[in-house]
Amino acid sequence: MFSKMLVANRGEIAVRIIRACKEMGVSTVAVFSEADRDALHVSLADESICIGPAAVQESYLNMTSIISAAVMTGAQAIHPGYGLLSENARFADLCEKCNIVFIGPPADVITRMGDKDAARQAMEEAGVPVIPGSGIVSGVIEAKEEAERIGYPLIIKARSGGGGRGIRVVEDSAGFENAFMIAAAEAQGAFGDGAVYLEKYLSPAKHIEMQMLCDHHGNVVCLGERECSIQRKNQKLLEESPSPAVTPEVRERMTKVSVKAARAVKYRNAGTIEYLFDKDGNFYFMEMNTRLQVEHTVTEKVTGIDLVKWQIRIAAGLELAFSQEDIGIKGHAIECRINSENPSLNFRPSSGKVSLLHIPGGPWVRFDTALYQDYVVPPFYDSMIGKLIVHAPTREEAIRKMQAALCELVIEGVDHNSELQMEILSDEDFSAGNYYTDFMAKRG
Amino acid sequence: MLEKGLFKKPNNPLEIHEKAVDAQQPSIPEEMCVSCPSCKETLFANELEENLSVCHSCGHHFRIGARQRIDIMLDPDTFTEFYGHMVSTNILRFPEYEKKLQKAADASGEKEAVVCGTGRIGGFSVAVFAMDHLFMMGSMGTVVGEKITRIFEYATENRLPVVGFTVSGGARMQEGILSLMQMAKTSAAVKRHSDAGNLYITVLTDPTSGGVTASFAMEGDVIVSEPKAFIGFAGPVVIEQTMRQKLPEGFQRAELLLEKGFVDDIVKRRDLKAYLARLLDLHRRGT
Repeated sequence: MFSKMLVANRGEIAVRIIRACKEMGVSTVAVFSEADRDALHVSLADESICIGPAAVQESYLNMTSIISAAVMTGAQAIHPGYGLLSENARFADLCEKCNIVFIGPPADVITRMGDKDAARQAMEEAGVPVIPGSGIVSGVIEAKEEAERIGYPLIIKARSGGGGRGIRVVEDSAGFENAFMIAAAEAQGAFGDGAVYLEKYLSPAKHIEMQMLCDHHGNVVCLGERECSIQRKNQKLLEESPSPAVTPEVRERMTKVSVKAARAVKYRNAGTIEYLFDKDGNFYFMEMNTRLQVEHTVTEKVTGIDLVKWQIRIAAGLELAFSQEDIGIKGHAIECRINSENPSLNFRPSSGKVSLLHIPGGPWVRFDTALYQDYVVPPFYDSMIGKLIVHAPTREEAIRKMQAALCELVIEGVDHNSELQMEILSDEDFSAGNYYTDFMAKRG
Repeated sequence: MLEKGLFKKPNNPLEIHEKAVDAQQPSIPEEMCVSCPSCKETLFANELEENLSVCHSCGHHFRIGARQRIDIMLDPDTFTEFYGHMVSTNILRFPEYEKKLQKAADASGEKEAVVCGTGRIGGFSVAVFAMDHLFMMGSMGTVVGEKITRIFEYATENRLPVVGFTVSGGARMQEGILSLMQMAKTSAAVKRHSDAGNLYITVLTDPTSGGVTASFAMEGDVIVSEPKAFIGFAGPVVIEQTMRQKLPEGFQRAELLLEKGFVDDIVKRRDLKAYLARLLDLHRRGT
């Protein structure tokens, strides 16, 4: 096992990873920006190093600073968390060159899965159902031809997109040319890569993803699904496991396909395969996330498996201690993301001092956060300030528990969205499990 | 806020397992990173090379060797080297010169401080020479002078334009007066090439100085420079000590020389190939 590890992230996920390390007896090194001097992860870690100014480009994305910090402190591994450098193949490659274990898949797998077109092809070859679509379309004429073949409505996606960015829906052929030009230009601007491809737009559809764990000994295990259809502007808001729409038979099929897919791309460590799931129970590969997910917590609850600890163990060369047959889904778990934004003011981000904090408690209630009393939420980073997770024997009981827990959550000083979460939980369609990715848009 | 040592360290022993990774210690391979001399930013060597050895952060143009220069500027696989066998000898029996030559050869991987040949830029045939700063700072001895003279003679005979990339500390003192004579010899060859109606473009790179500046480097029909290149005859220290006065800012830099008319244009390395191709196109000879 690694005796020391560096956590190249901030906020609740850095805290989450440091906690895992503390249990495992691994010493931790936190890195922080000048704006994060007082952050919880800095105090929790055994050592901490400032890696640059507030802007992420100069700190949390500053590869040279982070690698230098690891070398200086003698950290043998780097956990990138999610976001930031977690899906950066160059960073993974740099770590390897510097004799540091990158906790995640190898750089070439990140590269392949990060190229949405290549990922799609790899999945198709592995026999995974993919959404009807095109390869990279180069010109507007070729694109138009492909569009007619696929049929409307369809979406134009950037090859290098991600995190819900670089996606454009086209309803009919009239708006296609215009949308195509804008999408390509946007992709060029945002990702430095103007390549786009087309996909049939499945609507209504659910967003369902399968959690994978793959060790270095050829063992691949699927830890069931998560439903993440409650999204606003392609950002997930609430996740649950299991999905109310997935029957045991469908789960078995999805599990088999996902295991096959992970094997086909020689996947390592924790990863997630995202699918679009239509009303008839058909599922299509969307993309693979080569990292830990924000919503990994619900999977931990229903499977009893600590994903972060296993990420670290796998990276250290340990073999998985369980096989597919050992995986059982017990009860139901829900996660609500608590964002420091004001839903009634068009989700305006909020920052400032937390003047009063009360964290919900009780059995099977978990709150992952980096907040503490009097902490000042800086304005520079992601608006997610906490994740409330509950676990109960049934979905209905889980919803009740979450309602109660949300009422107990008090964060004064910054705006947040817990009331919106309560409204979602009380929604009839939500209670019936009858909701799709357009749920938030339809609410208005 | 949170005081240091607020949280105790749990008394958990390290999770045991048979495979020890403890022996592995992180280290940064020496060749992996380069510090930009201008902005001090740490750059990754492979990315710097992909960016034509120009700093991503401040645009500082790193010095590059003759081969890399030819690789960047010429169309792929079009370069044919000439006079590659020529090597310097210690004609004046200058102390330690052999050792210096050996060291320079080891450092640069070249036999001499200039590489000559023919190739294409943007499809246009050219005779080309590129000097190498790693070989005794591109200093001009008899072999450098001879190779440059020969490439001009070849270009005159074959009616080819010459594109030359200069980087030099000046004449090679180990060859004394024989080095200085190369100034006249190369200049004569340039003149004959020019009289025959051929184009000569010089690209001055950091640093171009001494006898090279005083001869073929400044004799181009079009003289372009890379940004911030040092271009001069004597060095600033020598001038300051002789003149006993402080030199103005930016003295002997490409930008000042452009202002004073010694240089025709300053072109970034990234744009240089297309720029040269355009010049070659404009000066295409009628057939």
